[in-house]
Amino acid sequence: MLRKITINWNKLADFRVLENPFPNPERIFSGLDDINPETFLDFLDDIGLVGMGGSGFRTSEKIKASIGAHTLVINGVECEPGITADQSVLLNDSLWVAAGANACAKAVGATKVILATKDGGISLDDLNKRYGEFSMERFAAKYPAGAEKLILKQLTGKTPPPGLRPYQWGYLIQNVVSLRAIGRAIIDGIPVMERPLTLTMPSIGFYKNAVIPVGLTIREVLEVYKISFDPSTHLIADSGLMMGHEVSLDDVIEKTTLSLFILKRDSAWHDERPCTRCGTCNTACPLGLHPYSLVERIKKDKVSSAAFKAQMTECFLCGVCSAVCPSDIPIVQTLKEGKKCL
Amino acid sequence: MSIVSPFLRMGSRSSGMAAWALLALLVPCSIYSVLYDSTFIWRLIGYALIGSMAETIYTLIVKRKRRLVCTGSAFTAALIAASVPTSMPFLPMLFSILIAVWIVKLPMVELPLRFNAAMAGRLFLMLMYPAQIVNWGTPTPDVISTATPQELYRSEGFPLEWSELLFGRIEEIWEDLFLLVPGSPGETFPLLLLILGGVLCWKRIITWRTPIAFLISFGVTTTLFGNNMLFNLCSSATIFSALFIVTDPVSTPMSKSGRMACGIIMGVSNALIREFTFYTEAIVYAVLIGNLCAPLLDRISFIAQGRRLNNRTLL
Repeated sequence: MLRKITINWNKLADFRVLENPFPNPERIFSGLDDINPETFLDFLDDIGLVGMGGSGFRTSEKIKASIGAHTLVINGVECEPGITADQSVLLNDSLWVAAGANACAKAVGATKVILATKDGGISLDDLNKRYGEFSMERFAAKYPAGAEKLILKQLTGKTPPPGLRPYQWGYLIQNVVSLRAIGRAIIDGIPVMERPLTLTMPSIGFYKNAVIPVGLTIREVLEVYKISFDPSTHLIADSGLMMGHEVSLDDVIEKTTLSLFILKRDSAWHDERPCTRCGTCNTACPLGLHPYSLVERIKKDKVSSAAFKAQMTECFLCGVCSAVCPSDIPIVQTLKEGKKCL
Repeated sequence: MSIVSPFLRMGSRSSGMAAWALLALLVPCSIYSVLYDSTFIWRLIGYALIGSMAETIYTLIVKRKRRLVCTGSAFTAALIAASVPTSMPFLPMLFSILIAVWIVKLPMVELPLRFNAAMAGRLFLMLMYPAQIVNWGTPTPDVISTATPQELYRSEGFPLEWSELLFGRIEEIWEDLFLLVPGSPGETFPLLLLILGGVLCWKRIITWRTPIAFLISFGVTTTLFGNNMLFNLCSSATIFSALFIVTDPVSTPMSKSGRMACGIIMGVSNALIREFTFYTEAIVYAVLIGNLCAPLLDRISFIAQGRRLNNRTLL
């Protein structure tokens, strides 16, 4: 059912370099030596860790629910096209990632750690040098591949039922950046005060991965890199091209900010045309759903059927349907509304 | 309006789809025009312009918008022109184009049940001008010289060689007698149409599911009735309609399984109508039957997918 979709983003930020343009934060508290489940959960709350792959849920809750899981999956599969921050963290901050992964595995009692990465990114040799103790799993270089559901599907060979959380299946899936933050707190005693992200402005050929302090405004970040642009012709897209949203210069870098893309407005938006019912959204949906049928039902408010509810629960708003739509219909926006009908 | 994600677009755009299909339709028609009837291509372009103008007028009056180039309606009009005999007079063609564009194509855009506009226009021609629609005038006056290969096959049970049909010109024994052109201008060169179909699929203008299901189910059904499969596939409008009419996205289902089922319905009913009824142009009825089933098929596949999701268990 999973169809191959390759979204080509013509140039990528080099994942071998992870810049650190801002001064390192100072050590605030001593690290953590002994890891046991109770203190570890409090520790995660103390450092203020939320899911840094973009979800923003409290990690302590997730770990608490996952206690007893048999496998920890390090999610280094870059979800959004054009972002290489995860890979660059895997390559450059391997010490912290490995420490965080080991701590998590110990806290939940996982016996196996799987490192999930993407084809065509870091070579397996480089990974083996740094993460020799983990087993490797490669994922196809396509979008969407980094969603928990799709990782689970490849690992187990079965498609999980709608609404299933990985811990119900004995898997704990943690993003690389979250693990890096845990490792940083354990070793250096620094809470979540910074996050690696991809900064891109294609029109001037600017592609970089950098560690940026959380709480800085975007204006300040861009000033450091001496990027200036005209807000009437360009827009800043936060957290990826597919699932992100537009932000303004005065918004701050949050813990869940995956990337900042500065794009031309006219290339990012096209006017909606009537649906030709070509079915491209159906063919493209990575879960085999019927996006436009869902949209029609949401618009007519026919949202009570079991089929609708099952499909709406399954959808994780990856945005592929909107991206491939030949008529540029914002399907995923309507599906977001539909999520509220559940 | 604020800009919302996704910021990335890919694949083909709907604005150019009809233009590409029209371009593909012009290829066999211009070859036909060069070989048999030099004025035909200009008439075809004229009809396409009439279709385009009809849509312009409609959008101007109903939606108060000005659109000058309407390739969708131009394609519909060209399809009608390419699938009727070249001897069709102007006035019936004008009526059928106006009916196809003004009544079937444009007002039905947002409705759940939609019909293929070109086929509706053809149905009108078949009902109102039954004499002209079968007037396959060929250069040699003869008793049965107006026959298409299909009609010959029906009346005399003699299938032509399918390999000769592929290239559109019947050689040897038939040449002296009839100088046969198998059917209407668009459907004259099945081999060329097959190649064009491959190109259009590759350009993502059409999808492969409906036409392939249509061709396979048609071939299987017609073989089951003891007919010559290759002759039936290569003659008449089978491949032409598989390429241009069955693939019409507006009137066929959206879902993958629905497309397969719709193609099968069209193929089987086409074979059934050819075998058991006395209607000519079975494809018109077959396509309209498939269009009728489209909303139902979409709903069935939607519900089936929901059920499949709900039946998934943990292990």
